[in-house]
Amino acid sequence: MLSPRVTSPVPLIELESVSKRYGSRTVVQDLSFDVRKGEVVGFLGPNGAGKTTTMRMIAGFTAATAGRVRVAGHDMATEHAAAARRIGYLPERPPLYDTLDVAGYLRFVARVKGVSRAAMPDELDRVAAACRIEPVFRREIYKLSKGYRQRVGLAQALLGAPDVLLLDEPTAGLDPGQIQETREVIRAFGEDHAVLLSTHILPEATLICRRVAIIHHGRLLAIDSPAGLQRAVEETERVTLEVTAPADDLRRALLGVDGVSGVELRPAPGGAGALLADCRIERREGVESAIARAVAGPWNLHRLERQQATLEAIFLRYVHENPEGPPA
Amino acid sequence: MRGTLAVYEKEVATYFRSPIAYFVVAVFLLGTGYFFLYNVFLSGDATMAGTFQSMGILLLTVAPVLSMRLFAGESSAGTLELLMTLPLGPWQVVLGKFLGAVTLLLVITAGTLVDLIPLYLFGKPETTTILAGYLGFVLLGMACLAIGQLCSALTQNQIIAAVLTAAVLLALWFVGHLQNFQAPTSALRDLFAYLSLNLHFVDFIQGLVRTEAVAFYLAICAVALTLNAGYLEWRR
Repeated sequence: MLSPRVTSPVPLIELESVSKRYGSRTVVQDLSFDVRKGEVVGFLGPNGAGKTTTMRMIAGFTAATAGRVRVAGHDMATEHAAAARRIGYLPERPPLYDTLDVAGYLRFVARVKGVSRAAMPDELDRVAAACRIEPVFRREIYKLSKGYRQRVGLAQALLGAPDVLLLDEPTAGLDPGQIQETREVIRAFGEDHAVLLSTHILPEATLICRRVAIIHHGRLLAIDSPAGLQRAVEETERVTLEVTAPADDLRRALLGVDGVSGVELRPAPGGAGALLADCRIERREGVESAIARAVAGPWNLHRLERQQATLEAIFLRYVHENPEGPPA
Repeated sequence: MRGTLAVYEKEVATYFRSPIAYFVVAVFLLGTGYFFLYNVFLSGDATMAGTFQSMGILLLTVAPVLSMRLFAGESSAGTLELLMTLPLGPWQVVLGKFLGAVTLLLVITAGTLVDLIPLYLFGKPETTTILAGYLGFVLLGMACLAIGQLCSALTQNQIIAAVLTAAVLLALWFVGHLQNFQAPTSALRDLFAYLSLNLHFVDFIQGLVRTEAVAFYLAICAVALTLNAGYLEWRR
């Protein structure tokens, strides 16, 4: 896994102490992070955490109450039009004109984004191919299935070669095949652009995001690579092994290994007399091989694997550690 | 300019792809046709004066239906988020939409020209008076649509937008009657007369193109559209 600091130094999305209040209600509070060229950043948070509001502030649909949002170096508060030219934005609900056909809709967005008439056919073909919407290109939008609506929305965001893509739950409503294709589009785009992607599907973030930002009650709880978040959450790591051995002897042997701080034993499912041992170990080199040596000599070691916290577990842990209500 | 034109073309395409536009045009032309037949053939009066007066009142019911979707429809469909995040200024959106609605108004106006055929076949109408009447009608329509577009931006609900527009238009149409309650020297009397959509229109129907009346309708458009653009910027 790449370290987040190795990325190109050009920040295309910058948030500096950004807050958004509606009356007395604070939706986003003191949020700071950036997204650099060449990375896909996942934006995770429970419903109502402030993800969509943050996306809208970056896209320029709503203005920040405090702090500064910059896209490609342009301040959203003062240089909206210049910044908007560099952004492709897919809101939570694809913004489609039901009465237009797909081609007419995309042509409208492309014209506003400054695509010339000469370049128009190629540009439309490019996004239609990328999002696989050619079969419905001439169809009225109100006749489209949910999956196609979502992909026409994505095609719209890709028009005009933006530097920054803001995608609010881009794979919602797609079937597994379409999800796969869409992730491929996003991953490829993220190689030389900046992508901020909000999602509920946590494995998706692990699969395509270089970094993940966790937001809750409008505050940023953590931002790091998925591996970095795992390291931060777990002071200790876990190793699971499956061994055929007497329980007491096995426990004694495992606790005797330097670096093992706890052992739980239970019968292995379906294993005739085999045991599953969950060991809590210190996070340092060599502990696993010491365990293997201690066990594989006297007994029959079937399996040994390191358990890693899933992004779900990390996410829930961050959210549960910060259970206070929405900021006043 | 390019952005305004793109929004304009999108608006016109949306109008002509939705059944509402055809319905509204049909209702308006049927209504106008009825009043024309009544005024010309039953009253034997070979002018458009009565027809124009009826067209003005019909416009008060038709303009809210034409303008209600301009912003409320975008809000409820989620497309306002697209318009406001594309590289478009509020004025480009407001003007593009307004010109789109005015195009439909011109189509409706052109539809009523069919009434002139029997008028010229069987009578000797005054062409300049008719031209003045049409100019007044288009200016009145532009003012109604600008007010309707502003009302449409204030709500996400198209029905509320239409009702609000109709209320404002009716108030401005009949505000002239309030002068009867004022003393002849009252300043309010002049104000009520000046604010009336109807009293200015009557001048046009009689063949009078007064700069003051033209300026009145254009000023309503300018104020409503400026408030509209300002509101879009403010709600960001």
